Amino acid sequence: MRFSSSIVSNLSRPRVFKDPRLFQITALGSFLIFGILQLGWHHELTRLGALIVLTLGFQLIAIHLFKLPKDAWKSGLISALGLCLLFHTSELWIIVFASAVAIFSKYLIRWKGKHLFNPANIGIVLPMMLTNEAWVSPGQWGSEAMLAFFFLSAASMVLMKVGRIDTSLTFLITLFILEYMRSVLYLEWGIDVVFHKMMNGSILLFAFFMITDPRTTPNTQKGRILWAALIALASFLLTSVFYLHTAPIWALFLSAPVSALINHLYGGRDFTWKTLSLSSNKSKQ
Amino acid sequence: MKNLKTIAVLLMAVLYVEGIGAFCGFYVAKADAKLFNNRSEVILVRDGTKTVVTMSNDFQGDVKDFAMVVPVPVVLHEHDIRVVNRTIFDKLNDYSAPRLVEYYDEHPCAPLIEEYELRLESTSADFAPSMMMEDMSFKKEYNVVIEAEYQVGEYDILILSAAESDGLRRWLNDNDYKIPENADDVLNPYIKSNMKFFVVKVNLEKVKYASEYLSPIQITYSSDKFMLPIRLGMANASGPQDLVVYALTREGRVECTNYRTVQLPTNRNIPMYVKPKFGDFYKSLFERSWKYEGENAVFLEYAWDVSPRNSVKCDPCVGPPPIQNDLVEAGVNWLNQNGSAHFTRLHVRYERENFPQDLQFQVTPNKERYQCRYIITHPAKGDMSCDEGQRYLKELEIRRKKEIDELSVLTGWNTKNASGYINEFSNRRYNVEKEEEERNTILPVGTSPSQNNGPTKGPFPWTLPMAFVALAFALGILDRISRRNRVA
Repeated sequence: MRFSSSIVSNLSRPRVFKDPRLFQITALGSFLIFGILQLGWHHELTRLGALIVLTLGFQLIAIHLFKLPKDAWKSGLISALGLCLLFHTSELWIIVFASAVAIFSKYLIRWKGKHLFNPANIGIVLPMMLTNEAWVSPGQWGSEAMLAFFFLSAASMVLMKVGRIDTSLTFLITLFILEYMRSVLYLEWGIDVVFHKMMNGSILLFAFFMITDPRTTPNTQKGRILWAALIALASFLLTSVFYLHTAPIWALFLSAPVSALINHLYGGRDFTWKTLSLSSNKSKQ
Repeated sequence: MKNLKTIAVLLMAVLYVEGIGAFCGFYVAKADAKLFNNRSEVILVRDGTKTVVTMSNDFQGDVKDFAMVVPVPVVLHEHDIRVVNRTIFDKLNDYSAPRLVEYYDEHPCAPLIEEYELRLESTSADFAPSMMMEDMSFKKEYNVVIEAEYQVGEYDILILSAAESDGLRRWLNDNDYKIPENADDVLNPYIKSNMKFFVVKVNLEKVKYASEYLSPIQITYSSDKFMLPIRLGMANASGPQDLVVYALTREGRVECTNYRTVQLPTNRNIPMYVKPKFGDFYKSLFERSWKYEGENAVFLEYAWDVSPRNSVKCDPCVGPPPIQNDLVEAGVNWLNQNGSAHFTRLHVRYERENFPQDLQFQVTPNKERYQCRYIITHPAKGDMSCDEGQRYLKELEIRRKKEIDELSVLTGWNTKNASGYINEFSNRRYNVEKEEEERNTILPVGTSPSQNNGPTKGPFPWTLPMAFVALAFALGILDRISRRNRVA
């Protein structure tokens, strides 16, 4: 789960952070604190601590191995927080595995100089696919309206600066339309059923903080809108036909190669973590 | 000077047993009898896509008034339906119920006097009933198809499919099921989802006494859907209903995927005087937690591997652990392969406003044990004149004050008159006057918050914006410092 920076560099920048990744860390970090203090995650401090320490540790190794800029730790921390917010396991070795996959997939699975998979996404999906010891709890955030509001607020603060709000909105609007058509128009449930589904914290977290990773989304706006709509469609089908509760995460994983294809078709400049003060950041991370 | 002997165990799940209970389908009454659906129990066994659902029928009343409608995902065959012994519910309930544990302090001046007490109280859920179904005649204009018709145990069972809700509702009403008008809103989505309707009445020739208990019905089917249709039961309900789910799986815990699954506060030290009213204590605790979590969460009450190969099945046990035969009766058929049987007890209090969707579940590989466990500690008895004894009495007062605080936080009970409990042994202490002032600062008790993870949070998520601002501030400072260093 990486977040974005400054393609839209002429948007007003806050004076607090020059690097938008710090904004993302702030947003994800506050969700984590909220989860620990209010959602009962204090039972899982070992898992959370291990994920952060190991993911950051692997990122530091990667910085050394691949001669990356030193502030690439920010990307590692974002991936770590993403894993903390969605990924569950009781086994230490799975945590090691997930952290390693999240970090090293960025440098080992690449296409045309760009990593293919969202790091936190592949860090979640591979352990779920290859072992029986990992899971995602889609219900863990509940479906609170206020929570949705804070997610939206925090996300828009970051996404407006990154130019990826189009991806989030396309995903959510497409999913809403599909769910509305199925649940309300076809099945004849009340509209509150659709709102309850759409305000699920895991869906919002995914929409605002996972599919918006500028390094793995298509480069052009047209491409991103097409891509986000495809993920929403795949997610909807996986949920309503196969009853897969973690559908968006699988949909994003399956859509990763499509992003590369869309870039091939629509072109556009690759995103780099370029900041106003640190233009040296744009290399491989 | 602490807890030595555990054991002595007890208590129960005296869960609110007021009135009538029902499974998440319908219980409807003939002759406009008042309908209530307050509490129901379900055993869910899930292995791959195979699901075994056992629905409790512990109701009181005239069995001819009983009828039930439950949406099911497939047309069930006769061998997929059976009745089971109702003791299975009592066993699972007693075994997994929230528990009170008693500890005994070691005497500070003299050797240990062991004292055990073992008591077990369990309750049965009161259920009652309603409804009647008589002469069922199939009419074409209803657009209702009787897919199958069975006699199982004391029940006459029909599997219906319908083309539209109006016809189904009219058919049910014409056959003496009092289906509320607003049920159309719920029946239609089930019909459109291609679900069938499992319709049950009692075959009066098979029951000897009108008031006898009915057997739980167990159905088996294979479906990707792992859910419980609670929406149907809300159509004729007034106020919240309680549902206790006993889930058994091969892999690990069951959790809800469209509502939060929350652990209740556990392992808390509470005052001794709670013991005779432990049922009320737990009822208040549950109610308080339910409200604090926004009245829309699912609560975990128990999680453990209960398979025969796991020798430690509870700590402590409030009821005998289910044996292999019980698990097989519930629908667990994989134990011969040396598998595990992970038992999850979930408790849901739901009503229409906060539960717009049916409950959907998933099986996770989470094997962590959990139980709702509350602890009372008996003080040591005998002469306390030695120095250790005096220290012990002082610590005892402090400990009891904490217990009172905990009780207040957990249940919201008024504990302002608890000074008698805290100071029960004060007259056996010397130099008490010196500490009188200190003790006065302790009392009154009952308003101070818990020091740990009690349900002290409110429904509004203030933590989130506060954490955001605090983190932004902290990271902003760090960022500036690091940039300044770099420039330097």
